[in-house]
Amino acid sequence: MLDVLIAGVGGQGSVLAAKIIAYTACDAGWQVRSAETIGMAQRGGSVTSHVRIGNEGEDVYAPLTPKGCADVLIGLEPGEALRSLPLLKPQGLLVCASTAIPSVASELAGDPYRTDVVIDRLCEVPHHLIVDDHALCERIGGRKPLNVIMLAAAVQASLESAACGDPCGFGELFTIDSLKVSLEHCVRERFIALNCSAVDITAQAIPVTSA
Amino acid sequence: MPKRLLMGNEAFAWAALTAGVRVVAGYPGTPSSELIETVARLHRDGIARGVHVEWSTNEKAALELLAGAAYTGARTLFTCKQVGLNVASDALMSLNYVGVKGGMVLYVADDPGPISSQTEQDTRRFASFAKVPVLDPSTPEQGFAMMRWAFELSERYQTPVIVRPTTRICHSSTFFDVPDHTDARPVPDEGFVKDKRWVIFPRRSYQAHGEINDRLPHIADDMAQSDFNPIATVGTAPHLGIVCGGVSTAYAREALRLIKQRCSDAGCGLPSYRFIQVGTTYPFPQQAIEPALDGIDEVIVFEELDHVIEDELQRLCGCTHASYNVHGRLDRTTRDRGENSVDDCLQRLVSFLGLPGNFATLQSAADDVSGQLHDVHAPMRPPVLCSGCPHRGSFYAVKQALKKQPAVLCGDIGCYTLGNAMPLDAVDTCLCMGAGITIAQGISVADPGKKALAFIGDSTFFASGITGVVNAVYNQHDITIVILDNSTTAMTGLQPHPGTGQTLMGPHSDPISIEQMLNAAGVTCITHANPHFLEESVHAATEAISYKGPSAIIFKAPCMQLVRPEQPARVDTERCTGCFRCIERMGCPALAKDDAGTHARVDATLCAGCGLCADVCPFDAIDAPVRDTGRTPFDGMRKGK
Repeated sequence: MLDVLIAGVGGQGSVLAAKIIAYTACDAGWQVRSAETIGMAQRGGSVTSHVRIGNEGEDVYAPLTPKGCADVLIGLEPGEALRSLPLLKPQGLLVCASTAIPSVASELAGDPYRTDVVIDRLCEVPHHLIVDDHALCERIGGRKPLNVIMLAAAVQASLESAACGDPCGFGELFTIDSLKVSLEHCVRERFIALNCSAVDITAQAIPVTSA
Repeated sequence: MPKRLLMGNEAFAWAALTAGVRVVAGYPGTPSSELIETVARLHRDGIARGVHVEWSTNEKAALELLAGAAYTGARTLFTCKQVGLNVASDALMSLNYVGVKGGMVLYVADDPGPISSQTEQDTRRFASFAKVPVLDPSTPEQGFAMMRWAFELSERYQTPVIVRPTTRICHSSTFFDVPDHTDARPVPDEGFVKDKRWVIFPRRSYQAHGEINDRLPHIADDMAQSDFNPIATVGTAPHLGIVCGGVSTAYAREALRLIKQRCSDAGCGLPSYRFIQVGTTYPFPQQAIEPALDGIDEVIVFEELDHVIEDELQRLCGCTHASYNVHGRLDRTTRDRGENSVDDCLQRLVSFLGLPGNFATLQSAADDVSGQLHDVHAPMRPPVLCSGCPHRGSFYAVKQALKKQPAVLCGDIGCYTLGNAMPLDAVDTCLCMGAGITIAQGISVADPGKKALAFIGDSTFFASGITGVVNAVYNQHDITIVILDNSTTAMTGLQPHPGTGQTLMGPHSDPISIEQMLNAAGVTCITHANPHFLEESVHAATEAISYKGPSAIIFKAPCMQLVRPEQPARVDTERCTGCFRCIERMGCPALAKDDAGTHARVDATLCAGCGLCADVCPFDAIDAPVRDTGRTPFDGMRKGK
């Protein structure tokens, strides 16, 4: 089993990222189940996408990942990565964007959202990569491809982890090239070039050094 | 056939289309809505041929329309969420007595949790109350097969059949093979044929009740022989039985896989057990389940919402003079409410199987934290009205207009239920679809010292608000009805409704005017405002509220999901005094304090540019560029659905 989670805020594209992963796994002949946990609101609420992949004929039963069973957690937003952290394996890989989305509810409740503290907390996860998504988005020219940037970052981090003798399985399923192939299945034609360049720029910015 | 990733609701749509469904109707409701949207999309793309699909005004209208279609021999599909069946129940109860000719399936999505519903009612229970067969899928794949079989069963016994998925089935996705196109089964040439049975009448009902009672045992036998109640024995001569319904089947299977792994890791044997899914809950498939419990001493039941299977097993145990003990929701061996999960099933199964308690432990990356970061938690993100949501301005203006006048603000079902959250705090009651208008009347009668107002959205108004308006005028109740018209059914995902004129079949009808409906009902005081403009909104609210007798305010501006955002607002830090009235009174997600905590800050990526905050700021410190263009925020819909 390979369990991948994508945690973000509504509108950040976690559902599309899950779809890209699902198609890649299906192309590789693996069984896939995916699901989203979404709140009531249309936008601005927490969204966690669960992609559960059964390799070698393994059945995937439940649509949602149980506690401590995710191999990879991709955070599109630090607070949301923290919220989903209990689902990640103790030795699982966390890849998270550093840009926070504010929470007016926290503000009103007098419990302001301190991104720096949240990121410090995320850095305690043994296998983690915090991605400067702001810088990457500036270079790409917009925040739309954030989901694809984070998928590419996860591929690179996973390959790095595997090269260090600690494979989480994600890098075996995905390569930068297979990511681009799946993008063509899942993204509207006029956005393919933008997303592919986002993948390349990310791969360049986060090289696999131990290989 | 290419493999396609389909959400459960999409898969159920495909299943019905491949079964030749001819007429599909329902009313939106989470988690069911995507089924009709899928049929509509496939119809639009020319893939689903010969099908009629519509969002009806409400569930009752949909089911009655489908009854007519089914009388002609057409295969028909009804969709709604669990509480939607309450609205359609008057039709359903009688329809089972009348019967159908073309197969009729009711797709009723239950919502354990509840995640986005008013109740945790169980449609399996409703099925037995109505004496209608019900199928309860454990995965979208099984649901696909059930949906197709349900049409056959319906026609074999001329009974409506319910397919009841739950949220996690409706909203989980997997890959399916789907055909290039589907064709609706034609209606027999003779069409509607006059027959006494189409007219319900006490004497006929007595006879029909007997027919129902006669067919239920036959249906139970068909169900017992179906593939939907799988039984598996693990080990030899088991004394333990694990019985599951719905998605809990998948949770328990996964928990058992974890347990097997742990037993193997610990070098201890896995206790023997028998695993049973009851996928056809009513009428209970006794022929399949009774032999499966042979030799079993203890049974644990995993199901969500009500203890339906548990009750059936208790009854079966008594009827067959068996000696097994049944554990589940009634004795709190399993959760008595809310959702089940793999984690929860693991705990309970480890205990049920008599294994060491540590087999149930699930460790995670969140466990080990150094001291001072132990308390760090994720930011709160409760559901809130979107930035640029017109409801925010409507609630704010009404509260401004009321000033200190004692009032009761009756809410209703839709995004605007979120007006109850702080700081708007503008929903005092919420019961069920359309109830706000009528509850307000009860309050005005019993507590005339308080002004009673009722907030209702456009889709809810058409679905079930109109009878309340007529009642208010007829009985002269002193209430103010606040129509929140955002030109869509927003909360369930932007479905059209009678006020939009868009239909799922393509051609537009003339939008039905809420104002003309109010006029026709005899509401004479009707005021208007665009809720993004504070002054005109407070003015409109004040006029309607001060009117003695039934009055209405129509706040009209499109849902922000339908429009392209305007330029974001900007805070002038020279003028901003840090009073934070903008943040503390409106709760807009795009507004926060700056890092120093001294000024308000607009998050440009979240701001929709509506400009309401510019109106609320007492120091003229917020500038919304759209206000300089002289145009009305979000007039017309430029993005379109």
